[in-house]
Amino acid sequence: MNYHWNWGIFLQQVQAGEETYLDWMISGLGWTVAVAMSAWVIALVLGSIVGTLRTSPRRILSAPANVWVELFRNIPILVQLFLWFFVVPELLPRDLSMWVKQDMPAKEFFTAAIGLGLFTSARIAEQVRAGIQSLPRGQMNAGLAMGFTLTQTYRYVLLPMAFRIIIPPLTSEFMNTFKNSAVAFAIGVLELTFQAKQMQEDAGLEFEPMIVVTVLYLVCAFAVNRVMAVIEKRTRVPGYIAGAK
Amino acid sequence: MIDIKDVSKWYGSFQVLTDCSTHVSKGEVVVVCGPSGSGKSTLIKCVNGLEPFQKGTITVNGTSVGDPKTDLPKLRSHVGMVFQHFELFPHMSITENLTIAQVKVLGRSKDEAADKGLKLLDRVGLKAHAHKFPGQLSGGQQQRVAIARALAMDPICMLFDEPTSALDPEMINEVLDVMVELAREGMTMMVVTHEMGFARKVANRVIFMDRGAIVEDARKDDFFGSPRSERAQAFLSKILQH
Amino acid sequence: MFGSFDFSVIPASLPFIWEGFLFSGTLTLVAMLGGVVLGTLLALARLNGGPALAAVATTYVNAMRSIPLLMVILWFFLVIPFITGTPMGAERSAFITFTLFEAAYYSEIMRAGIQSVSRGQVNAGYALGMSYWQTMGHVVLPQAFRNMLPVLLTQTIILFQDTSLVYIIGAKDLLKAAEITGKNYNRPVEMYVFAAIIYFVICFSLSFLVKRLQKRISIVR
Repeated sequence: MNYHWNWGIFLQQVQAGEETYLDWMISGLGWTVAVAMSAWVIALVLGSIVGTLRTSPRRILSAPANVWVELFRNIPILVQLFLWFFVVPELLPRDLSMWVKQDMPAKEFFTAAIGLGLFTSARIAEQVRAGIQSLPRGQMNAGLAMGFTLTQTYRYVLLPMAFRIIIPPLTSEFMNTFKNSAVAFAIGVLELTFQAKQMQEDAGLEFEPMIVVTVLYLVCAFAVNRVMAVIEKRTRVPGYIAGAK
Repeated sequence: MIDIKDVSKWYGSFQVLTDCSTHVSKGEVVVVCGPSGSGKSTLIKCVNGLEPFQKGTITVNGTSVGDPKTDLPKLRSHVGMVFQHFELFPHMSITENLTIAQVKVLGRSKDEAADKGLKLLDRVGLKAHAHKFPGQLSGGQQQRVAIARALAMDPICMLFDEPTSALDPEMINEVLDVMVELAREGMTMMVVTHEMGFARKVANRVIFMDRGAIVEDARKDDFFGSPRSERAQAFLSKILQH
Repeated sequence: MFGSFDFSVIPASLPFIWEGFLFSGTLTLVAMLGGVVLGTLLALARLNGGPALAAVATTYVNAMRSIPLLMVILWFFLVIPFITGTPMGAERSAFITFTLFEAAYYSEIMRAGIQSVSRGQVNAGYALGMSYWQTMGHVVLPQAFRNMLPVLLTQTIILFQDTSLVYIIGAKDLLKAAEITGKNYNRPVEMYVFAAIIYFVICFSLSFLVKRLQKRISIVR
């Protein structure tokens, strides 16, 4: 292969500024983590609520939850981001619309976090629903028989077990959130993928930025995996077949 | 026909077969019995190479099963096997189950294979079900089809791995009847089973296995009349309670 | 709120959108067919391939599943011309990329499917004298496919959504067509909404059909 490697490029200054390419990479990592973590928190909170509502026997609760899931599941994430970035501001009342388009700080970041968060919330909702529905029917009955209201039964009996059961698919989803955060490049978030492309153009090198960014994504995936493994261990229920090892 | 010499097998560090030696002559019917975990299913699966073994030799009609140079598919096409859970192919019709190996392995024409399949189906009393699918048949019917499927390959001997253990009691006899007839026609058979009535009727010899070893290997009358080992005696007394 | 919107741009945009949709659709079909075939081979390599082949297949599958698809698209776009020596357009590169990428996901599905077929079926095939490939081809894979069909189709719907990511290399798919049309007619909002609606209708209908299919299969069992 005729490629001349130049790893020293990272310590070199960028064309139009004082920072080094390494600074760009680190900044990219920072934005990736920021978008992914914010989206994950939003998704976890909303997804748990929507997923729980989907299991409700009352149509008035489950129907909107179903709509939520179908809406955010059947449109590609990139298209959803464009909708949030280009379309939603136009739908807001005039003053708010102007503020969002012109004065809002870090609007790319917030758009990405909300867009990715809602997209992921639909997937988490499905996993929460599956987790709840995999519990034996008797658990709900046992909770109600003790005098718990439906809400209390969900809170003290069903959800604690359901969440433990779904830790493996939730881990996947957490890793997916980091991978999906790459889509934010398209609306101008300075995350890793954006930096990879930008450095390729600015430094005139193709492989070095790609390799470093890829490695950083792998590091994120590994970190997520480890964190979830720790959580799984800490919350394990002794003697329960699915979790015990 | 089947020669088993000093066969030992390990799963990792756990030994499942210990120095097993026996033989089945042409036309003989040998029943293998013993408690669960005794290794009888494992032994019979070694005979046609479905399970590998680390020590000893097994020869079927002169061909060594353990030899890496042996063409196992070719050997298996001449040895019929019937499984505890029937293992008919659920996505194929009964006819297709009977013909697929004849066509793909033995190279017979589709018509030839269908003819033979239908004849054998008739022999086991199930001609009317040729176009059905396995899921539509009862357990006893499926097992009879499985026997026909094995016979369609014109095997030189037949291996049976607990053929009636998964059947409801009322269906056991319809399968045993087919097997008895097969034995009376002179087929060489090695049968792993708990059905002592069958053994008494048509077996020539009975082998008793316990914890991976062959504990007793005697002619039928000797085995049932005066078993030599304590374990065989204990086993027989428990089994023959009903 | 909707006062300043002008949806008359949509009829005018249809020819471009149709072309973009054809590309997205073709890409999906090709990647699905190629991905399932390659994925099945990867699954077989992992299950029956011996330690070396299994390790290679496992590494491949894990690598594809750990990196963002956008990065995979960029990688192939960069590397293929290096290997072949000739430059390659975004569209062509997308076909190769998506087939190889989706194969990793299809292989996980097929691996589960193959393992769902009982060992006894394999033994029965071998006992009749069938070779490994005969047993796989006539006995195991037909059953594995039937078992996993709903999951395979769901993955294809995800694949269709993923094709929108060719945006990063400028390939002219449905989304890009909507964006370009939006810029040309100065009506980006209407076009993005239109694209979203198209994706939604297609994906929603297909997943509805998959759910129906799932019900039919479970009755037959």
